Amino acid sequence: MEKNRISNQQLKALLVTTVIGIGILSLPSEVAVALNNDGWIAILIGGLIPVPFIMIMDRLFKMYPKKSYFQITKEVMSPFVAYIFFIVFFIYTIVVIGYIHRVFAEVIKAYLLENTPIKVILITMLVAVSYAARSRLEVLARVAVMIYPIILGFPIFLLVVNLPNLDYTNILPIFQLDIKQIPNGIFTAYSAYLGFEITTLAFNITEDNTKSVKYTLRGLFTVIGVYLIVFFVTLSQYGVFQLKRGIWPSIDVIKEVDLPGYFVENLDGIVLAIWVLVVYSSLGPFFHTSGIILKEIFNTKTHEVFIPFLIPITFVISIIPDNLVVVTKVMARILEYLAFIVSIILPVVIFIVAYIKKRRVKT
Amino acid sequence: MEELSKDLNTNLQMLEEIFKDVDDLVFRLVELGESKTKACFVFIDELIDGARLSEYAIQAVLIDDKKDFNLKLFTSNLIKNLANREITISEVKEEEDLGNIIDAILSGQTVLFVEKEKKALLLETRGFPTRGISEPESETVVRGPRDGFGENLKMNMALVRRRIRDPKLKVKMKKVGRRSKTDIAIMYIEDIINENILEEVNKRIEQIDIDAILDSSTLEFLIEDNYLSPFPQIEVTERPDTVAASIYEGRVGILVDNTPFALIAPVTIGALMQAAEDHYSRWTITSFIRLLRIFAVFLAALAPAFYIAMTSFHPGLIPTRLTYYLGASRINVPFPAVVEAFLMEITIEVLRESGTRLAGPIGSTIGIVGGLIIGQAAVEAGIVSPLMIIIVAITTISVFALPNYEWASGFRFIRFAYMILAAIFGLYGIMLGIVVLFVHLAKMESFGIPYTAPYSGLGLREGDLKDTLIRAPLQKLKYRPRFTLPKDKKRMGEKNNGEE
Repeated sequence: MEKNRISNQQLKALLVTTVIGIGILSLPSEVAVALNNDGWIAILIGGLIPVPFIMIMDRLFKMYPKKSYFQITKEVMSPFVAYIFFIVFFIYTIVVIGYIHRVFAEVIKAYLLENTPIKVILITMLVAVSYAARSRLEVLARVAVMIYPIILGFPIFLLVVNLPNLDYTNILPIFQLDIKQIPNGIFTAYSAYLGFEITTLAFNITEDNTKSVKYTLRGLFTVIGVYLIVFFVTLSQYGVFQLKRGIWPSIDVIKEVDLPGYFVENLDGIVLAIWVLVVYSSLGPFFHTSGIILKEIFNTKTHEVFIPFLIPITFVISIIPDNLVVVTKVMARILEYLAFIVSIILPVVIFIVAYIKKRRVKT
Repeated sequence: MEELSKDLNTNLQMLEEIFKDVDDLVFRLVELGESKTKACFVFIDELIDGARLSEYAIQAVLIDDKKDFNLKLFTSNLIKNLANREITISEVKEEEDLGNIIDAILSGQTVLFVEKEKKALLLETRGFPTRGISEPESETVVRGPRDGFGENLKMNMALVRRRIRDPKLKVKMKKVGRRSKTDIAIMYIEDIINENILEEVNKRIEQIDIDAILDSSTLEFLIEDNYLSPFPQIEVTERPDTVAASIYEGRVGILVDNTPFALIAPVTIGALMQAAEDHYSRWTITSFIRLLRIFAVFLAALAPAFYIAMTSFHPGLIPTRLTYYLGASRINVPFPAVVEAFLMEITIEVLRESGTRLAGPIGSTIGIVGGLIIGQAAVEAGIVSPLMIIIVAITTISVFALPNYEWASGFRFIRFAYMILAAIFGLYGIMLGIVVLFVHLAKMESFGIPYTAPYSGLGLREGDLKDTLIRAPLQKLKYRPRFTLPKDKKRMGEKNNGEE
C-alpha cells in the first residue's frame, strides 16, 4: 500500500476544514462594515477568486506529475529565486499560525476561560497542534474527514435553532451597494478563504488527480455556502447596524437561542468547545506546511525535526500584538497582503515560467 | 542438525543424552517378526494417547503373521513397509533429522526407531487433556451460535473450518517461540484477501524472536503497529463465528495453541465497535444499538470530565435550576469536583478489579457491598455528591456496553487523562484532548490499513458506513467491507428473496 495518498473526498474535507476556522466568527460583521446588506456579494466573489488559481495549480501539477509544489519550484526557478519563494511562503504560514492562534485564544478567553492567562491557552493549543503537524498529510486528511460533519452540521444547526427568532426583513434592502466599496469588501472576504492554497499542495498525492479540481471546487462551494448561511442568519437576527458593531456575531447569535427543554442553558459555550476542533483542523495543515517548507529549504529527510522549533517562533508571533484591535486591524492586513502574494502571485509566476520552459523544450 | 545412525543403540543413547533427567520420556523396546529385529517406540508419557499407541501401533507391528512379516524383513525398505502395511495410525511420517524428531517427541508424537534404519517413523499419537467446547465467556449472545474456542489449536481450527468449506481457505502452520515452539495457524481465503496485508502479517510473525508464547496476547503485542497506544490494533475474539466472518471479509485469522483467544488482523474502529450478535439480529435494533455504542464511547471517556468542567468552570452552561440543585447537593462536600471524581472513579476501578479476580458468588457480593453500600454511605457521609455517584455508575456501565474489551479498556484508561485536562482547562481542555485523540487514532494503522478507515476515508455512498455506523439490511450489503481492500468485492448475488 502506498504511503501518504489521499482520496479526493479527503481532499475536499481537508479544504473545507482548513479554510473554515476563525474567519467564520468575524466574517459577517466585516463584510457588513464594507458592504452593508450586500455583504453576501463580497462573500460570493471572494470565494470565487481562488477558482482560477486552483486551475493553475492543477495544470502545474499535470505538467510535472508526481512532483510536489516545492520540487516543481526548485526545478523551474533558479535556486536563489526558489529559496526566496520558500522563505516568503514560510513567513506567510507562520504569520497565519500566529494570527489564528491569537484570535482563537482571545475567543476562548472571552467565552470559556475568563481567568486563564492567554499565554497558557496559546501554548497548550500550539503543543496540541504540533502533534498533528508532525504526521503525514494523509493523517491530517483523515482527521479532516472526521471533523467535516461537525463543520457542515454547524450552519444547519445555527439555522434550525435560530429560525423562530429570525427577522427576515433585516436582509432587505439588497443591491444598495457602493461600487467603490466592492474591491475592499472582496479583499476582506478573501481573507476568510485562506487555506485553500495549502490543499492545492496536496494535488500531487491524490489517488485520482483527474478529478481533484472537481472535488476541490466542490469543497470551495461548500465553504461559500456555509459562510452565506452564517451571514444571512446573523444579518436577519441583528440587522445591519448591530451586525457592524459586533466582533464575533456568529457566536453571539447562538446566545440568542433559548429553546425550552435544553440540557444546556447557554449553547454558545458548547458550540465554542466544538469550534476548538474546527480551529485545530485548520491550524494543523498550516503548521504541517511550514514544517514541510523548512524541510525543503534545509533538504532534510523529514519535516518532523523542525516542528519543535516552530512552537516558540509561532508563539512569539502570536503574542506580538498588544490587543485584539492590533490583531484584527494590523496583523490581519499584513496577512492579507502576504496571502495575496503566496496564494496568487507565486503560483502564477511559477506557472508562467514553467509554461515557457516547456514550450522551449518542445520547439 | 545431526542425522540418525544405522545403529539403534546409538540413536537411543543420543536421545537419552539429550533428554537427560527427563523422567517422563518412555522407551518401549519391541522385537519384530521371527528375525527379532529390534525396534523402539519413544514418546513422552503424558502427551500421548496411550490407548491409540498400543492398539494401532504396537499391537500392529507385533501381530502374529510371522510368515508374511519375515518376507518383508528381507526386502530392502522395512520402515516403509511398516508405515504402509502395518501401522494403522492415521498420520505417519518418515524423518531422518534429529532436530525434527526431538520437536516431534516434545509435541506429543511417538517416534519409532528400527534397527539398521537411518530413518525413524513419526506417529501421530497426540492426546492430552483438554477442556471441551464451552460457551465463550466474554462474548455471549442471545441469538447466534454458542460455541467458543478452547485451548486446543486443532479443535479451534476445526470450529473455524466447519464454517468455511472452501478449498481456497488456506491454513499456514507456523511455530513461534524459541523454547515454547507454539503452533500458530494463519487462516485466510486466498482469493479474497489483499496480498499486502497477508505479506505484512507473515513478515511480522517471521520476525518474532522470543522464548515463549503463552497466549495470543504476546503475539499480538509483538506484531501490532503502535505498541505505545492504549488501543488494540488487532481484534481478539473467543468466537469461531467471528473469526469465520472476518475471514470472509478478507481479513486474516490467527489461531494460537493453548489459548481460546484468536487474533484477527487488520482491524479498524468500525470492527471494534461491532458485537458478534450485530449480524444475527434485525437491522433496525442493531442500527440503533450501534449508534448507542458511539454515544457510550463518549460517555465512558468523558462523563466524569464533563462533570468536573461544568461544576468548576462553566456552571453557566447548565440550566439554572440544575445549577441550584448541584450547588445544594455539593454544599456538604468538602472537596473540589476533581478530587471527588478521582476518589469515586478510583474506588470503582478497585472494586471492579477485586470483583474480576474473585470467582462467582463472592464477586457479586463485592459488587453489592462496594457499589451499593459504599456509594450510599459516601453520599450520606457527605464525601461525594449524589450526582457524582450517578456519573460514576454511568461511566462504568458505558464501558461494559462496548463489545471489545481491550478497546473499552483504552477508554477506561484515557478517562483519567480527560479528568485532569478538565480540571485544568475546563471544556477547552476536554476538546483539546478529544482532538488529540482524533489525531492519534488517525495516525494509527493496522497492517497498513488506516485504523479510522470507515470514518476517515471514502464517502457516504461508497464507504463502509452502512455496516459500521449503522447496519443496513442484509440486502443492501452486497459488497464486502472496503477497508480490507478485498480482491473479490462482491459477496451476494443480484437476486435474493424480497428484492426486485
